[in-house]
Order: sequence, then C-alpha cells, then structure tokens
Amino acid sequence: MIFIKKHIPLFICFFVGVLTLGSYYVPNATSENYIEMMNKWENIVAGFAFLLGLMSLFYSHFHKISRKAPGWGYSLFVYVGFLLVVIPAIVSNGQPMKGPDMTSLGWIYRFVFTSLSGTMFAVLAFYIVSTAYRAFRIKSPQAFVLFAAAFMVILGRVPLGQMMWDGVLGWTGYQVTDVIEWLMSVPVVAGRRGIMIGIAIGGIVTALKIIFGIERQYMGKD
Amino acid sequence: MKRPPIIPLILPFLFLTSPSSAAKPSPLPPLTGFTAADMPGDAGGAALLRWDSPGEAAEGATIEVYASDTAKPGWVKIAEFPASAHPEKDMDLPFWAWRPAPGRHALAADTSSAFGRPDEAQEIEFKLRLVKGAASVETGPARAVIGGNWFNVSRFNNLVLMLTIIIVFFWTVSHAKRKGLFIRRIAGLDAIDEAIGRATEMGRPIFYSTGIGPMSLVPTIASTSILGEVARKVAQYDTSLKVPHFDPIVMTVCKEVVKQSYLEMERPDSYRDDINFFVSQDQFSFAASVDAMIHREKPAACFFIGHFMAESLLLAEVGATTGAIQIAGTEQESQLPFFFTSCDYTLIGEELYAAGAYLSKDPMLMSTLKVQDFGKAFVMLAVVTGSVLLAAGAVFGWEPLMKIVGQLFKAY
Repeated sequence: MIFIKKHIPLFICFFVGVLTLGSYYVPNATSENYIEMMNKWENIVAGFAFLLGLMSLFYSHFHKISRKAPGWGYSLFVYVGFLLVVIPAIVSNGQPMKGPDMTSLGWIYRFVFTSLSGTMFAVLAFYIVSTAYRAFRIKSPQAFVLFAAAFMVILGRVPLGQMMWDGVLGWTGYQVTDVIEWLMSVPVVAGRRGIMIGIAIGGIVTALKIIFGIERQYMGKD
Repeated sequence: MKRPPIIPLILPFLFLTSPSSAAKPSPLPPLTGFTAADMPGDAGGAALLRWDSPGEAAEGATIEVYASDTAKPGWVKIAEFPASAHPEKDMDLPFWAWRPAPGRHALAADTSSAFGRPDEAQEIEFKLRLVKGAASVETGPARAVIGGNWFNVSRFNNLVLMLTIIIVFFWTVSHAKRKGLFIRRIAGLDAIDEAIGRATEMGRPIFYSTGIGPMSLVPTIASTSILGEVARKVAQYDTSLKVPHFDPIVMTVCKEVVKQSYLEMERPDSYRDDINFFVSQDQFSFAASVDAMIHREKPAACFFIGHFMAESLLLAEVGATTGAIQIAGTEQESQLPFFFTSCDYTLIGEELYAAGAYLSKDPMLMSTLKVQDFGKAFVMLAVVTGSVLLAAGAVFGWEPLMKIVGQLFKAY
C-alpha cells in the first residue's frame, strides 16, 4: 500500500519534474510537444476537478440548509444563482450572442455578472482609502519616511501639488515629477528587486524540494 | 550645303543601347562567402545565414533573403533589410555560443512563417539578392537542413547555475543531518500559535485561504504545507477551521493535507469533510463570498497565504474590520503593500517558502533554508562583483569585459 501511496507518486513527481526542468534547456519539437501535452492534461484534470468543486459547493450548502445553520438562507441563493445561469446557458446553447441579438445567457453575463464583478472591483477604491489611512499614521520614524514618500507621490500626481511645489520649492530648479521619478525608479525598484530575488530563490528551492521528494506535505505526508 | 552623314552619328547611340550594354559590370559588388546552416540551439524553423560584408560600395542598397523548400521548390522572399544591417557582432547570442568574425554579417532567418515548422528536419535552399535601384546581384543558392536542437547552448550559464544549486542543495541536506542549523525567528510564523490560541479562547473559527493560484504554482504548494501545520495545531486545540477554495484541484489536495494533519494529531473524530470547500472560480465572486463569510462569522484569525491578486485587499481589509489576527504571505510583490497595511504579520519574499520547513521543524526541510541563504549570498556577491566589473569596464573602456559580464548574467 505504501508503495502505491508513497513511492509511485514520488517517482511520478520526480520523473515529470526532471523532464519539465530539462525541457527548458532542450528546444526541439519533442520537448515543446511534451510541454503542450502536459498543459492539455492539466486542463483535462481541471475540467474533471471542477465537477468535484461543484459537488463540494452543493454538499456544503445543502448541509447548511438541512441543519438550518446560521445564515442558511444565503445558501439557497447558491442554488437559485446556479439555476439562473445554467438554464439560460442550456436554452442559448452556450452562446452569448445569436447574430446581432443577445441571448438570455449573454444578457445575464453582461447585465448581472459583469456588473456585480465591477461592483466588487470598485469596492477596492474605498478599501484603498481606509488602508492608506491606517498606513499613514505616523507612529515611528520609519512610518514617517513612508508617509513622506507617499505624500510626495500623491502630491506630484495632481496639478495642485505641482503648483504648491512650484510656489515653495520651485527655486531648487527641480520639478516635483523629477522627485517622483527618482523615488519610483531608484528606492522603490531597489526594494522590489530585493523581494523578487528572495521570492525567486525560495521558489527554486521549493521546486527542488518537491522534485526530489523532500517536501511531501502536499501528498498528505507519509 | 552638304548634309552630315547620319550613320556615323547613329552608330554610337546604337552601341550604347544595344543588348551588349547588359554585360557591363554592375555598380554593386558581388555578395561573397554566403553560407547557410541550421540555427544552433533553437526549436527549428530558423537558419543561420552568413555572408561577407558588401562594404561601402553597397551603401543605400538592401539585401533580400529568398528561401525555397527543396520538397516544394519555389523561391519565397522571407526577409529584407539594409545591406549594412546584421553584422555578426550584433547577433543576440552569448560569447560561449557565438564567435563573431569581423567583416561578416549573419542573420537568423525565420522560415516558419513561409514553410511552417514541422517536427522533422527540413531541407531549405537560400539565396541573397543585393538590390540598389534597378541594379541587383545575387548569390548562388546555399542549402541547409534545419530542425530543432537537443540543447540550447545559450542557456549554458543557466544550466551551470542550476547544477550548482542542486549540488549545494544536496550538500546542505546531508550537512543538516549531522549538525543543527540556526534559523532566525520569523515573527509571522511564531504568531500562528497566538492566533490559533486566540481563536480557541474566543470560540471563533479560523479562516485559511490559499489564494487564487492553481496547484501548479509554487506559492500554492508552499501554502498547502503551511496549511498542514496550521491544521495540526487546530486539531490539537480542537478549534474550527474553514478553508474556502478558488481552485477545485487545490481543494482536493488540501482536503488530503488537512485530513492527514488531523490523523497525525489523533483527532480523526474532529475532522469534517467540509473544512475545505469550493466557492467559485471567478476572482471577484470568490472575494465577495469569502468577505461575506468573514463578515458574518467574525473569525478570530485569518490566514491569506498563497497567490493573490486584486482580491488581496478585499479580503484582508474585511478581515481587519472584524478584528481578526491576520497573517498573510504572497509571492506577488505588487500585493504585498496591501497585506502590510491590512494584516498583523506578513511573510515577505522567501519567508513564504521557508514557512513549511520552519513550522514542521523537520531537519531535512530546515536544511533547505540554508540553500536559500546561500542563494542570497551568491546574488549579493554577483551584484557587487558585476557592478564593480561593469564600472571598471566603463571607466577604462574595456568593452569585451562589459560584454562578457553582461552575457554571463543574461537569461537567453
């Protein structure tokens, strides 16, 4: 049993990992076809896994309704929403447009789904304001540096800021846009690159741990 | 008045316009030294054409490249460029894969648009035509068998680096078995106990999100490792854990991971199959649903560890308003500022990948953290050395040195 549950998956992981890693250095058609095939397999597995996801969704909400768990009424909307999209999709044969006319599926997608997604995305703007408020509270010298840099960037993005800069610091010969450009292209890029290098190294090491079977947590351990 | 003889006057004119005038040497120099070969280190569909520089006599002229598949003969123009273009030194290949000759030109001629790129090698004929106004000269045809190669020589630097990392990796792993390693404290991971303890005391659930990345992303795999450790502690304290998912494959893997953690802590009775549940594969639907759950259930702790995009702030900000302890980590550096401001602890950069090893305390896994440290040390050394060498090259005008340093660290 341990052979099937542990050794075979580890071997598959090692074999596929080494092949995929090697294909980066092998540019010929065999290598490209292999990568293409793996992507296709991933899509096929994802297609079947989606059914699992759907079952999980229905199962968890069914239990909420049957147990009358707090907020069970919201679970009803899962089924209602599902039927509201699936029935028009079947009726419209999966097509959002029929010639120049919009089908019922197209209507739901455009006037319900897109609008709701847009609404969620728009909420970000308000959250950015509340987050910025929290971030700009000056509680330490580092927070002050953060505030000063952010204030400078905000200032330089609006005409009023440009006018204020010209009135107060115009004598320096520098434009506020020059200061922002320097901030964004020197300290910000330096910080970002430091993080990116760390992420890249961590990613490589994690990939090696998985390929060589040292990291096995994703398999449910031994 | 005597009329002038017409024939002597016409003769020179006839001579000038007669067909024999075509035999007059062309004003363009001939193209010499033309060769065609398979483009080294490519996937096929390109040939390496080389020829001698036509010199200043061809100033203002253009070169047309013609190709013909020997299986279906017929010349097709595949490229056209000024005669002075494509000197060999401008070829985008590193010094270990390409030796440019002075006074020579080279072109990686793409044939895939004209003849496709079959899996098998193709035999293609090429010829060059130097054109200036009405005058033109042609080379003789040169034949090349082109196809995909078994090794991209340009990526040799990358291969050496990869092999070095693998050797260091195994050396460190074997070293760790013999000696213990000092691992610095990571505040975000030390706070996991505090967060789970708080949830237990308050009797509220813990939310854990692996983000919107598929299972093929390394951060998602790293996140499942952390989830395993969190689930062990949750099982130990008998707290409620909720793991909403964006990707059904990730959900399936996480189910196994959480189940195993409960089994290891000898709490299989506490494990429920709906700890992990699928929400939606649409980014904002997922965010809206998880936000609503956080808002209603007021969890004591939220973990956002994995691949996150625009939904990072939507989730973290709602979590912050409920007063939950929040621990986040993502490889998306553009989302890190949102987590910094909304969460109590954020795993930065490689800390995300180190977390699984840090929490499990497994010496084998912990030793791999050392590889990350060696990697960072190498990058620091390379940055300093490269900067010094490039600066020296610029000051003293050592162009070859600058080229070598630049190519050594370039990704081809």
